[in-house]
Order: sequence, then structure tokens, then C-alpha cells
Amino acid sequence: MSCHQTPDIVAEHFDTRLSPSARQRVQQHLAACADCRAELALLAPAQEMLLSWQHEPAPDWERSHAQSQPLAAPAHRPPLPGRHARLSWKDAGRWVPLAASLVLSVAVLTQTRLDVSEQGWQLSFGGDASNVSWPQLDAYMAAQASLQQQQNQQMLESALQQFGDNTADTLVQLVDWFEQQRELDIQRMEAGFQQLLDRDYQTVNSVQQLASYVQFQGDLP
Amino acid sequence: MENDNELIASALDGSLQAWETLVRRYEGRIYNFCLRLTGNRDDALDLMQDVFLGVYRNLSRFRGESQFISWLFRIAHNKAVDLARRRRANPVKDQGLPDDPADWPDDHGVSIGPQALAQADESNASVHRLLQALSAEQRLILELKVFQSMTFDEIAMMQDISANTAKTRFYSALKKLRALMEGHHELSPDP
Repeated sequence: MSCHQTPDIVAEHFDTRLSPSARQRVQQHLAACADCRAELALLAPAQEMLLSWQHEPAPDWERSHAQSQPLAAPAHRPPLPGRHARLSWKDAGRWVPLAASLVLSVAVLTQTRLDVSEQGWQLSFGGDASNVSWPQLDAYMAAQASLQQQQNQQMLESALQQFGDNTADTLVQLVDWFEQQRELDIQRMEAGFQQLLDRDYQTVNSVQQLASYVQFQGDLP
Repeated sequence: MENDNELIASALDGSLQAWETLVRRYEGRIYNFCLRLTGNRDDALDLMQDVFLGVYRNLSRFRGESQFISWLFRIAHNKAVDLARRRRANPVKDQGLPDDPADWPDDHGVSIGPQALAQADESNASVHRLLQALSAEQRLILELKVFQSMTFDEIAMMQDISANTAKTRFYSALKKLRALMEGHHELSPDP
């Protein structure tokens, strides 16, 4: 087989459900490719041999045996318990808090306002934007920011005061530890360097021995 | 005649008659599928029962989005793959024929003895012998393509491989089968 398309062409040729356009492509290739034609001619008897199979009837067996087996759960999700149940006052503890939260959320979002006077009460939706001016809002935000900064500063000062001594001790210990580590590193580096030198010395010796051996071999008649 | 979906609905409602009608409608195809894959009648019957048991157990999961026969063969395919894995894991019980036809015994198999062969058509016996010399994977792809007329895209989806891989496997299986046929004929005594 020298045509790289042979597996595809052979497989598609034996595909009885190939689309007309694909069938045409296969026929065109076969008309031009002797390798694929030869391979097809070689393999056709294998397909024919398979198709010579004679259908055998199934023997008698206990067909209803399966019905004694349990069925798997259906693929569709069953409705959740109580999903379609009607609301009742018996379950009020479950849905009243949720309903109250929902009502309050809607009231806040729609800026609901209830005015009660001697003449009765009035429910209105939507805030009056003219009640609050931009300078007032800016001043309020600045005051809040200042207050927040003061609180942060107080917290930081108290924290520093409480842990100040401990921090100083810890810093001294940290510096000592760094010094010790530095000395250890220098010692390790020196030892490693010494080992390196020793190995180099051994290597030079080996090379010298090799060179003298080669020279000796070369001097032989 | 009731269609498959009506029979399935009745079977799910507990109708024994509907279930048996459904089984009888497809048991021939499934039995022959199993027979070609397993190579002997006893194993084929066991595998077929296993397939229909799996079908019944999962009947409520059949959504009717595809044809029942496709769904049925998907289960049959999975059961056949499971059986092939079990046989690989337990080769003592493997009743497949050796690769070399020269090593084939005359009375191979539990049910394909002289008596069983006398019952079967001669062409089936030849197909049996050759198919059993293939690997389970090769047997399965020839089964799905040649006997079940599935497209390579359908086979690819069923076996979780690409369509090109399915084509290559089919081609390799066909080549192996051809080589076995040549070897078999060479070994056969002249009439």
C-alpha cells in the first residue's frame, strides 16, 4: 500500500450509508489510484465472506424474566417534594420570613414612603431628589471618610502599643538568626569549594595518567 | 401493530405482553449479534439475556429521542465490551481461537462441536472461525459496520473514538480477516 488514503477509501467504499457526494469522491479516487483499486480487490472477498452469514433464529428463553427485575429510576427528574404544594398557615414559619424580606426589599428599591397625618395616610413611591443636594452629599461623604480614618488610626495605635515590646524582641531574634544563617552559608560554600578543588585535582591526575599511558603505547614499536 | 414507543409505554405500565412483543421483535438481531461476537451459542444466549435485562432495567430512561433499535444496540455494544474485558481479565475461560489457523482444534468451542456445526450453516461456521481469530475490538467494528450498517460517525460516537480511527480500525480488521482467509484456505485440504 503506497497510497496514504487507502484506509479511508476502503472503509468508505464498504460504507453502504455513504452520502452521494462522498461516494462520488471515492469513485473518482479509485479511478485514478491503482493502489487503492488493488487493495479493494484484495479485501472485497473478506466483506463477501462476512455477508454470507445466515441469520439464526434465537432459541427459546425466559423473556419475561427481566420483568422480575427492578426498574431504574426514570431519566427525567421527578418533581421535588412539596414543590407544587399550596401555601398554608401551618407552614407559615417557613414562608413568612421570606415573604417579609421580599416585601421590604421591594419597598426599599421603590423608595416607598408612608405619610400619616390628621387627614389620613398617604403611600408614595420614588424619592424626591430635590430633598438632598449634591454639596450636602459631598459633605456627608467627607465626614464619613474622616471618621473612618480616625477609627483606623486609633486601632493601629492601640495595636502597636500592645505588641510593641514583643515586636522589638522578635526583630532582634530575627537579626541574630540571619547572622547565624549567613555564617553557616559561608562555611558550606567553603566546604563545597574545597571538594570541587579536590575533584579537579583527581581529574588532572587521571588525565596525566591517561596521557602517560597513551604516550607509552605510542612509544611501543 | 404497535410501534416501539407504545410497547415501551405499556411495558413500563407492567404489561408482560408488550414487553414480550418488544423482545421478540429484536431478539433475532441481538442473538445473531451476540453469536458472532461470542462465537458460541451458550455465551450468545447469556449475552442476549444480559442485554435485554439491561434494556428492561433502563427502559424508563429511554427518552424516545433516538430510535429504540439504536439505543438497544448501544446497550448490546456496552455489554459485549464488558464481556470482552471479563474474558481478557480471565483468559482461562476465553474460548477464542488462536491467531494461527494451524492451531485451531477441530472441535473447538463448547457448542460449535460436530453436533452444533451440523445444525449451523456451513458459511456460519466459517464466519465463526474467522471472527473468533480476530481481537474483540476488530470483531466489534466489523459487526457494527458490516452487519448493523452503522455509519462511521455513529460507530465513533458509540465507541468514543474519532470517525477516522473507526475507519482505520475497520480497514485493519478487514485486512486481518483477509489474511486469515488466505491462511485458512491454504491449510484446507483440497476437495
